[in-house]
Amino acid sequence: MITIEELKRYEIFAEMDLTELKLLSAMAEERKAREGDELIRIGSPARTLYILQEGGLMVVFPDGRAITLHKPGRVVGWSALVSPTHYTASVTCLTDSILIAFPGSELLRLVQRNVAFGTKIMRKISEVLSRRLPFLQEKDKRILKQRS
Amino acid sequence: MDGFSAISAGNGWLISALGISVVFFGLASLAFIISFFPRAISWWNDHAQTPRYVFPLLRSLLVKRRRKVPALLGSGESHEPGEIDDAEEDLRLLTAHMGEPFKLPRLIEMAEQRGLTRVHSTINRLIVRGTMVGGDDGLFRWTKGTDKKSPVEKKFEEIE
Repeated sequence: MITIEELKRYEIFAEMDLTELKLLSAMAEERKAREGDELIRIGSPARTLYILQEGGLMVVFPDGRAITLHKPGRVVGWSALVSPTHYTASVTCLTDSILIAFPGSELLRLVQRNVAFGTKIMRKISEVLSRRLPFLQEKDKRILKQRS
Repeated sequence: MDGFSAISAGNGWLISALGISVVFFGLASLAFIISFFPRAISWWNDHAQTPRYVFPLLRSLLVKRRRKVPALLGSGESHEPGEIDDAEEDLRLLTAHMGEPFKLPRLIEMAEQRGLTRVHSTINRLIVRGTMVGGDDGLFRWTKGTDKKSPVEKKFEEIE
């Protein structure tokens, strides 16, 4: 479990109210990963959404291009919220890292049950997506276009 | 005389042990040699057509073997003094062959194949320092005149 105060620090949860933060806090778990660990493998079922607390990550796209994330609060594994839930990029830890992990199924259930919460979180996810859109494969872009 | 006594009389046990040892060491040596094949093939694939890089790369490989430092478990970002600068030299040599801009995962793969230790955290440090930068195209480049430390790097040192 991650405290509400900890969650409040991150931009993705900035608009959440106390009830929503409580729900998120209950489902969140701290996850530690070592330098060089593959946190997410491309094509595998997307079951977890991660928020970087500490460390550095490298997101590798199918064509070998990559971006690195160093700032706390960065999101990886958004595919857990977008059908078909398969990761569209690999994520490797550049350093020993601490992450907050959210089970995709529970988060998705919350999004479906609570429209206001769903709108807020999907808006944030779409911001992440828009930054990574140039790196996605055509088929992933088509899926996202169909859903929007 | 027959059976076990015949074997003992003819030094059969000793000969058997010797035979087993010879076969064992032969197979072990063969396995050891074969274990180097993937590295040799990959090296050959990368450099066979660019002989001007062969000698500097061979030299860097030999130097690396000597100064290889075991990973410091649980040490996060800490590196031996000068380790980052040495690793930067090696990485620059590799990217000289790859050309700029380069794909970061490919650089990591090549560096690991050449026996560099803690490649990920070294690259993280170089990016935080501003020595290596990622472009909007998802490709990476070295920055020129990177002796000066970036504000992010200064903050990094303060935390440490």
